[in-house]
Amino acid sequence: MPPILSLDRVSKNFAGLKALKEVSFELEQGGIYGLIGPNGAGKTTLLAIISGSLEPTSGAVIFEGRNLAGAKSFAAVRAGVVRTHQVPKPFRALSVLENVEVGRRFGCRERSAGDPEDAAQILDWVGIAHLAHAPSATLSVGDQKRLELARALAARPALLLCDEICSGLTEAETACILNLLRKIDKDGTTILYVEHNLRAIMSVSQHVIVMNYGQKLAEGTPQMVQNDPAVIEVYIGGTGITGGRQPRPGFIARG
Amino acid sequence: MKFVRNSAVFRFALLVAILVVLPLLGLGPNAVRLLFVTFVWVTVSIAWNILGGFGGQVSFGFAVFYGLGAYAAALAVNSGLHTVVALLLAAGVAMLASFVIGLPTFRLRGPYFAIATIGVSEAVRVVMTNVPMTGGASGYRILETGPFRQLDHFYISLALAVLAMAASVEVRRSKFGLALLAIREDEDAASDLGVNPFRAKLLAHALAAALTGAAGGVYAQYAAFIHPQGVFAFSIGVAILLMPIIGGVGTIWGPVIGGVVYGLIHDELVASFPQLHLLIYGSLLILIVLFEPAGLVGLFGRWFRTLASARRIRAANP
Repeated sequence: MPPILSLDRVSKNFAGLKALKEVSFELEQGGIYGLIGPNGAGKTTLLAIISGSLEPTSGAVIFEGRNLAGAKSFAAVRAGVVRTHQVPKPFRALSVLENVEVGRRFGCRERSAGDPEDAAQILDWVGIAHLAHAPSATLSVGDQKRLELARALAARPALLLCDEICSGLTEAETACILNLLRKIDKDGTTILYVEHNLRAIMSVSQHVIVMNYGQKLAEGTPQMVQNDPAVIEVYIGGTGITGGRQPRPGFIARG
Repeated sequence: MKFVRNSAVFRFALLVAILVVLPLLGLGPNAVRLLFVTFVWVTVSIAWNILGGFGGQVSFGFAVFYGLGAYAAALAVNSGLHTVVALLLAAGVAMLASFVIGLPTFRLRGPYFAIATIGVSEAVRVVMTNVPMTGGASGYRILETGPFRQLDHFYISLALAVLAMAASVEVRRSKFGLALLAIREDEDAASDLGVNPFRAKLLAHALAAALTGAAGGVYAQYAAFIHPQGVFAFSIGVAILLMPIIGGVGTIWGPVIGGVVYGLIHDELVASFPQLHLLIYGSLLILIVLFEPAGLVGLFGRWFRTLASARRIRAANP
């Protein structure tokens, strides 16, 4: 089976700054892919390029056999790539239900059998059905994140891009969102998940891609990545903080 | 829900019916003229609100459509075309202009778009002042072949205002309207959910321009004389934006109320305060933006709620 998404030497320059340098990787259909890296590694830039918010300076973004590089974000949505935002962007004057309605009516992919029938059902699914008629501006951060997810799901993505969907959430809220991601994955949607919270991402992903300074540093299963010396170097600073001692393997999962 | 909507339609129909018979009840020509002007303003106010209120794109340049519509209708009537055909032409010309203006300017956002529309509007006025075919700065006259029948003009302007209202309601209820609201709230987020903002803005602009152009055409046929400093005036562009803001931007009835208020008091204000009337509008605008961004509709709504809750309290504590 061909990969659902394949990045081929994607680079992005902002004036003099090389935010991404020839990043290549492939995502197979199905599964949750984690994308991690320190601040400024280029994770969000990469997400913006895949979702069509940014145009890459060079390279190709092949989604289901089509090059989406340079396509506008609404075109990417209609092709099946939908993103959520790190800082939620609700349509503040619209009700929660109307927010979801935008995704449902403009994400044009074919409906499949298991898809929810209407916006209310999606709200119920993410657990904010009771807020359906509230103005979205009045939502708490946790509920706004759920709304982000509900809106994106309403557009029926084949590939869902989640940008730090757990940032600013409590432990309980995080656990809840991660469970939702697992359920979305089970329904056959591929997820690319950018996150700072390593514990969250390691617990939910089947495959992790690590970035640093705009380049891909490593990829593999969470276990493989945590034991990769280069990754440990980036996150702990090999010889610095640990005083030359090798950090114990599996440092991330144990928090 | 259905009943509520139907009763709203019924009340609207009743209002229109009253307006239809009103001039037959012995209203003087000056009152009819005032109502005619009010309907023209209500139409452009509703039109502006489709782009500016629903779509959040603040344009100062609607005088361009108003003026082009006026000139197109005047030229059409003088070449012997029927009134309705002339109005369709006026709408068409204005719509074409909206694409010419929108294609470059909708790449700009927020205040930059607003500033660009000011520039375009002034440029068109200057060009029209120097076009010899339509008399340049000296203006253009419609040569009337038949007698002047004020009631014909009255009914045409009323019909156009009703049409604008229907368009506004339909847009607000449609998928297209949802796209406009989403764009107004956050253009990037809308695009991230599959809305094509550029296309939606162009369409809203075109619809608004067509209605505004037709309104310009209706006015031109009544006035029978138009000139660039009149129909293309920057103050017209400002007035068109002022009305929906006074009434309640982004609502269905706000632009209607704004148009009525402006239509009914404008002449009186200009006559009483020839130098000061713009200052009065400016002050009003500042007051509304500061204290009641939802306009008169928001103000009435608040009074109504206060009254209703006072009545409830009184009913509960006799």
